[in-house]
Amino acid sequence: MTTKDLMERLELRPMSTFEHREVKGVIISDMVSDVMASARQGDLWLTVQTHKSIVPAANLVDVAAVVVTSGKEVPQETIDLASKFGIPILWTSMSTFALAGKLHDLGLRST
Amino acid sequence: MATCTHRWQMAHVRFGLIAFEKCFHCGLVRTYFSAEDGLPLGEEYREDDHFWSRVETAQSFRFDLQCSLCGQVEEFSELMGLMHCTACMEDCPVEQQRRALERERTWLVVAFGFLPQALQRPLSERKLAILTDYFNQRRDVTRSRIKVVPFTLIPDLSRCGGEFLHDVGMLSQEPPGERKPLFS
Ligand SMILES: [Zn+2]
Ligand SMILES: [Zn+2]
Ligand SMILES: [Zn+2]
Repeated sequence: MTTKDLMERLELRPMSTFEHREVKGVIISDMVSDVMASARQGDLWLTVQTHKSIVPAANLVDVAAVVVTSGKEVPQETIDLASKFGIPILWTSMSTFALAGKLHDLGLRST
Repeated sequence: MATCTHRWQMAHVRFGLIAFEKCFHCGLVRTYFSAEDGLPLGEEYREDDHFWSRVETAQSFRFDLQCSLCGQVEEFSELMGLMHCTACMEDCPVEQQRRALERERTWLVVAFGFLPQALQRPLSERKLAILTDYFNQRRDVTRSRIKVVPFTLIPDLSRCGGEFLHDVGMLSQEPPGERKPLFS
């Protein structure tokens, strides 16, 4: 599954500019340190965090995309930084829980 | 001699808080890691000739690396955290390297040691190379790479506005402001 497939199926809105990537699993966390310790390359990172620190962290562990859930507004500086690194930032009004359920139904698991 | 081509994995992960303390008497800055929760900010106390005040804390973690092939453990007890260069100083060697590496799609991160000891004994080149290997081994390097550089390249910590990759101010509902240098 790719970020393109997921965006189409789950109506995830793109915030940054990026090339599509393969999504291999899911990590849910609102802590950068947790993600740095536990995320796997190709994970979709579900979070309500929008601070620009999520971008270098997402880049360091090479997640497939960051999905900002619950309709949280993403600051422009976060979007700009993500575009610079080519990190997909996706947005949904769904809660993390609801989105996780749908990703599970699509066959994605935590890695 | 071992000839293992090491595949690094994180080991012995410890979550806790990084505290930044400053002596308002002499300006010395020190940083340390605590597994304790809730270190209050602003608390002042005296120790020898210093008057320490905690100016910042951040949720963070520490780790060692272990090779999944041969079992060798590399300790990173002297690593305080990783910082993202925000291009805050045009003339900073970190920023100059960052710009050069960006052209070849290599992203730079700065490895910090605990102050003030790390000013005398920063992370060795060997350990920086292991960290670099570790981050590249876990990513798709056809897209981009990571390079870890020492914080001692920063000529003036008191002017650096780099962002630590840890959880500071992340739970605030306020929009993030311009980060003030931590070491000023
Ligand atoms: Zn080995
Ligand atoms: Zn002092
Ligand atoms: Zn800087």
